[in-house]
Amino acid sequence: MATKKLDPLIEAPLTTEAVAVSGRRMSDSRPEGWINKIRYNLQFVRGRGAFEIGIVFVAIIVVFSIISAVNPKGFPFLKAENLSGVLTQSVPMLAILSIAVGILMVAGEFDLSLGFAITFNAIVFVRFTDMFGVWVGVIGGILSGVFIALVNAVIVVYTRIPSFIATLGMGFFWGGASIFINGTNAALLNPELTKDGNPFEFIFAHDFGTFRSQVVWLLILTVIAWFFLHRHKLGNHIFAVGGNSAAARAISINPNRVKLLAWTVYGLLSGFASVLFVARIPSVQPGGNATADFTLFAVAAAVVGGTSLLGGRGSVIGMVVGAALIEVIKNGLILAKAPGFYLQLFVGVTIVIAAIFNRFMEGKAS
Amino acid sequence: MATPLIELSNVTKSFGPVDVLKGVNFSVEEGKVTALVGDNGAGKSTLIKGLSGVQPYDGGNVSFRGEEVHIRSPRQASAMGIEVVYQDLALCENLDIVQNMFLGREELNAGTLDEASMEFAAQKALQSLSVRTVKSVRQKVSSLSGGQRQTVAIARSVLRNAKMVILDEPTAALGVAQTEQVLNLVRRLADNGIAVVIISHNLADVFEVADKISVLYLGQMVAHIDAKKTTRDEVVAYITGSKTPEGVA
Repeated sequence: MATKKLDPLIEAPLTTEAVAVSGRRMSDSRPEGWINKIRYNLQFVRGRGAFEIGIVFVAIIVVFSIISAVNPKGFPFLKAENLSGVLTQSVPMLAILSIAVGILMVAGEFDLSLGFAITFNAIVFVRFTDMFGVWVGVIGGILSGVFIALVNAVIVVYTRIPSFIATLGMGFFWGGASIFINGTNAALLNPELTKDGNPFEFIFAHDFGTFRSQVVWLLILTVIAWFFLHRHKLGNHIFAVGGNSAAARAISINPNRVKLLAWTVYGLLSGFASVLFVARIPSVQPGGNATADFTLFAVAAAVVGGTSLLGGRGSVIGMVVGAALIEVIKNGLILAKAPGFYLQLFVGVTIVIAAIFNRFMEGKAS
Repeated sequence: MATPLIELSNVTKSFGPVDVLKGVNFSVEEGKVTALVGDNGAGKSTLIKGLSGVQPYDGGNVSFRGEEVHIRSPRQASAMGIEVVYQDLALCENLDIVQNMFLGREELNAGTLDEASMEFAAQKALQSLSVRTVKSVRQKVSSLSGGQRQTVAIARSVLRNAKMVILDEPTAALGVAQTEQVLNLVRRLADNGIAVVIISHNLADVFEVADKISVLYLGQMVAHIDAKKTTRDEVVAYITGSKTPEGVA
C-alpha cells in the first residue's frame, strides 16, 4: 500500500466503520502457506497456552476412552455412573473456581483464603436457606463470596500489602468466622432440597444420565467469562493492569478500580461455586479444612491452563481445560485403583511441568 | 500562527520549601518542534507534569488557544489533546500493538471489542507516520525493539487525536539508526500540524529536529530561541548558567 507523504496525519479517532475483509489479519505482511498461517494465528490467540494444554487434554481423554472401551470392567471411565457421578460434578466445581482465580491472577492478584471462604459462603447459604428459603439462600451465598472478596480487595488495593499475606490472614479469619456463626457441628442443607425433582436439585445438581446440571452452568459461565475477559474492554483493562499497572494509569485507566472489579468477579464466581459445592455435598463442616484443598487446586488448574502467576496472561478456555485435566487425571488414577499418594505425585508433577512449559512459551513469545 | 497552542505565563510550583518552578513562561506553537532543555533538577519534568495534569501548577496562567484553562487531571489534559510519551514508554508488554494503541479507548461493536476496526486504524496510524519497521500490528510489545516501542507510543498519541505531543527523552535508550527513525517521526508529527515538545539531554538531537529551543535553569526560563539562530555553545552556556538573559554572567 503506497503511503502518500504527509497526508493529514490521520482521521483519528476513526469511526467504527465496518471493515470489509474476510478474516481478521490486515497487516502488510501476510503469512504464506497454510502451516505458516496457522502458526501465525496461533501466536495471536490471546493467552496462549490453552491450545497446547487442550491437545494434552484431548489425548488423555482419547487414551482413557480407549482403555475403558477395551476393558470396561477394570477401567469404567465411560460408564454413566462415573461420568455423571464423578466427573461432571467435580470438573465444573474446580473449573468455575479456576476461572475465578484465573481472572484474579490475570489482574495480578492472588487469594489464599478461597478454601476457607467456600466453607463460609456455604454455611451462609445453608443458614439463609433455613431462615428465608432456598433462593434467598443462593443469593446470600453468592453475595457472601462477593463480600469476602471485596474485604480482601480493599485490604490489598488500598494498603498495598501483598495479596499473598493479606489473604492468608483473612483465610484463617473466615475459617474461624464459619465456626463462630455456625458452631462446631456440620451445617446440613434441608434434605428435601436435594431430592430428585426439587427445583433446586434440578437446577444445581440434577443427574441427566451421563451429565449433571453443573456442566450446563460451567458452559454458561465459561461463555460469559470468555466474553468478559477476552472480548470486553474491561477484560482488556484487567490484562493491562496485570501486565503493567503504571502504564495503565498513565493512560488514565484507574488500576484500583480495575482490581476491585476483578475481585468482584472473583467473588461472584467463588460464591456461586460454594452453592454448587453444597448442592453436591449437602453437609458443610465449619472451620474450612474440608474445602482447604480448593485454594491451591484452583491456582494449579489456572496455571496448568497457561495463566501467569505474575499477572497479565491467561485465557478462560485454558483455565477450564486446566481444571478438567486435573480432575480427569485424578479420576483416572482412582479408577485404576492407584493408591492415594499416586494422585498427589501425579498432580504435583503436572503442575510443575505446566509452569515450566508456560515459562518456555512466554520466552518464545518475546 | 498568531496565538500559540499553549502558553504558560508565570507558572509556579513548589514542593514544601523547595521552589521548583519560579515563574516560568513557556509557549508551544502548532506545527513546530519545541525542545525543552536544561540540566537535571532544572524543573523540566515538573513543567511537563503540570501540563499533563499529573501535578497541577500552584500558580500562574495557562492558556490554550488563547483561552485560560486549568489542567487538573491527566484525563482533562488528554481531552484537550495533550498527550505525553513517557521515557519508560508506558506500554503494556503483555499486550499487542493494537491493544496498546487503543487501551482505555477501545472501539466497540455491540458491546464487544471491535478488533477489525482497531487493527485497521492502528495500521493506518502507523502508515501515516511512514512506519514500516513493524512487521505486524498483532505483535506483542514485548517482542519489539526500543525504537519500535517508541514508535508505537508516538503513534498512539496520534490515534488519540493529539494536538500537542510531549516526548520525554525519546531517544535516551536508542541506537543510532533507531534515534534517526524516531527523530524523523517527531519531524513528521510537527509537519502534520501537531505541536511537539521534546525533552532531551542530547543537543545533537535537539539541533537536528527542533525549531525552537527553550532552556530552563534552576526553575526559570532563561531562553526561548530559534534553533537556526543559535549555536550549540550558546545553548550549553544557558544550560550551565554561565550565560543569562541579561548577558554573559
